[in-house]
Amino acid sequence: MKAFLLLLILAPAVAGAQTLSQRGFVEGAGTLFPQEASNDSTRAVVDLRARSELFYKPAPWVQFAAGLDLRANSHDQVEQGWRVAYSDRGVREPRLSVRRLSATLTGGGFTLDAGKQFIRWGKTDIVTPTDRFAPRDFMNVIDNEFLAITAIRGAAQAGDDTFEAVWSPHFTPSRIPLLGERWTVVPPAAAAIPLVDAGGRLPSGSQAGVRWSHVGRAIEYSLSYFDGFNHLPAIQSEFVPTPPEIAITRSYPSIRSYGGDLAAPTPWFTLKAEAAYVTGNDSADDYVLYVLQLERQSGEWVFVGGYAGEVVTRSRTSLVFAPDRGLSRAFVGRASYTLDPNRSVAFEGAARQNGRGLYARAEYSQARGQHWRATIAAVAIGGHADDFLGQYSLNSHAALTLRYSF
Amino acid sequence: MNERRCSHTILFVAVVSSFLAGADVEVLRAAEDARAIVAEAQRRTDAKSQRYEGVLQVFDAKGKISDKRWTFERLGSHGQSRVVLRFVAPPEVKGVALLIVNHPDRASDQWMWTPAIERDRRIALQDRSTRFFGTDFSFEDLEERDVNQNDYALLGEESIDGTPGWKIQSTPKQTRSSQYTRSIVWIRTDSYAVARIENYVKDKLVRRLNYSDIQNIQGIWTARQLEMLDLTRGSRTRLTLEKVQYNLPLDDEAFTLQAIRRQ
Repeated sequence: MKAFLLLLILAPAVAGAQTLSQRGFVEGAGTLFPQEASNDSTRAVVDLRARSELFYKPAPWVQFAAGLDLRANSHDQVEQGWRVAYSDRGVREPRLSVRRLSATLTGGGFTLDAGKQFIRWGKTDIVTPTDRFAPRDFMNVIDNEFLAITAIRGAAQAGDDTFEAVWSPHFTPSRIPLLGERWTVVPPAAAAIPLVDAGGRLPSGSQAGVRWSHVGRAIEYSLSYFDGFNHLPAIQSEFVPTPPEIAITRSYPSIRSYGGDLAAPTPWFTLKAEAAYVTGNDSADDYVLYVLQLERQSGEWVFVGGYAGEVVTRSRTSLVFAPDRGLSRAFVGRASYTLDPNRSVAFEGAARQNGRGLYARAEYSQARGQHWRATIAAVAIGGHADDFLGQYSLNSHAALTLRYSF
Repeated sequence: MNERRCSHTILFVAVVSSFLAGADVEVLRAAEDARAIVAEAQRRTDAKSQRYEGVLQVFDAKGKISDKRWTFERLGSHGQSRVVLRFVAPPEVKGVALLIVNHPDRASDQWMWTPAIERDRRIALQDRSTRFFGTDFSFEDLEERDVNQNDYALLGEESIDGTPGWKIQSTPKQTRSSQYTRSIVWIRTDSYAVARIENYVKDKLVRRLNYSDIQNIQGIWTARQLEMLDLTRGSRTRLTLEKVQYNLPLDDEAFTLQAIRRQ
């Protein structure tokens, strides 16, 4: 492991060789919340993050990838120890973690990826119902990022068709917000009773999935099947009288997902659609999640907008942490405008169709030189406490991020 | 009187018809000449493959500059080729890749890989007129155009930078969708190298591409510097080609959607 760390740290110096490439960044972000949450009085949070990724290709048919993340946080969201976390399955973000560590073999139309890697399925952006191998870090629900999984992925390409198979022996859950912090919303009446993390019941079995994709002249489409576990947890709560507290347990129900996605350019816009029927065990709902999305670039503008819907065919659970379903029955859109090669603005928003939850974000970003970029964002969230978006109405915030890329 | 008028009319029509017929022949000959010139220019740049490292400098109307670098690899040529273009600088776009599959009879297919979100996205036909990554090149400008995708007319001879050249109008055929209504192309008479392209939308000149520092590399006259001017915005992008190589062995499997996902 020491050699691995040394290689990543020295990567920028040695990445000049043709077979070796490197990228990374150091980033500082400050977030200000104007309002106190009922369970969290902290109104300023500072994050520091460094990332280094190295790609080594000793021969045309093989490539190795390795990446490391280093984190610090002012609000106790990062583990205190200095162990190098490979699995990244803890409640808090690890101080030092392996972001990716994989080998890729290619030949004769086949590609085999093995190790810790990112696997993305689906075509839509606002919600991706078929993206089952892509857990996320939801420490900040609005501003989240993907987590890599340990898997073997094989892909065979024949003409316009690609057949893909994935097997993941080791489950990686999405990370949910810390119980004592503002992204875990507690009703004011219950704020006096502490929430205690009673742990997560992580499944020990493996996951698998297959996907067939076709790239046609006028349309692209895929069909996929997934058999594994929901990376978003079902929540069980239990009141403990002495001392009075609520014990929270996370479980990850086994599910099967049958999905499809397509992208069809028309003369006016690109239509994207994606849907998945998810059926679970006795502790999980059966539901269809679907998305219709339109995309268009015009001049310096890029528009993406659409509708995410859900049909629950069988309801079994009462409490889940499911941002994908939370963003369903909603209209979601994003527009970005490039002011010049170094500056851009973006606006995005989501509105639940019943009007009980609203989210809006405005962002200005400016690069300076070859390495620096500053981004300032303002996020407004409103609505009712019983709505997925509306429950975060006290979490409107402003954020400033400064990144040095290398 | 009526007979005389009629005979005069017939005579007039006959004279005009014969003049027009002669003009048609001239137009056809000019079109054939123009097409032959473009075909010869294309033949002289035929290569099994090409590789270069590109340095992009973007100047806006106020003279601000932004630098980018990419590697360009092409397998095949002229409507039968595939291209992978991958950014290597600045660091924040490192790894972003564009796969272009050129077709002889229609517009290319294009996909962009964005490593930050680990996703590829097809660039729709109607989006090809937009600027490519903040440069003054549009996605369509990155296509490789086959001679058969356009109709041509020879407009005459005109010097470019002191070198004699043919001035040719190129109009996209109906089967090939394009943001441009027509283009005017200057081809040097000494080397058949393209020296300038002016692109029009209806009658308005919107982009001008100047080719300079033309050198013979492995028998192919190659412009080492291309400068695209966006006349609507007043900005320009200079692309400098470094380490240009032709006919080098490139792996067919490096030009697929699976391949551009590798960093």
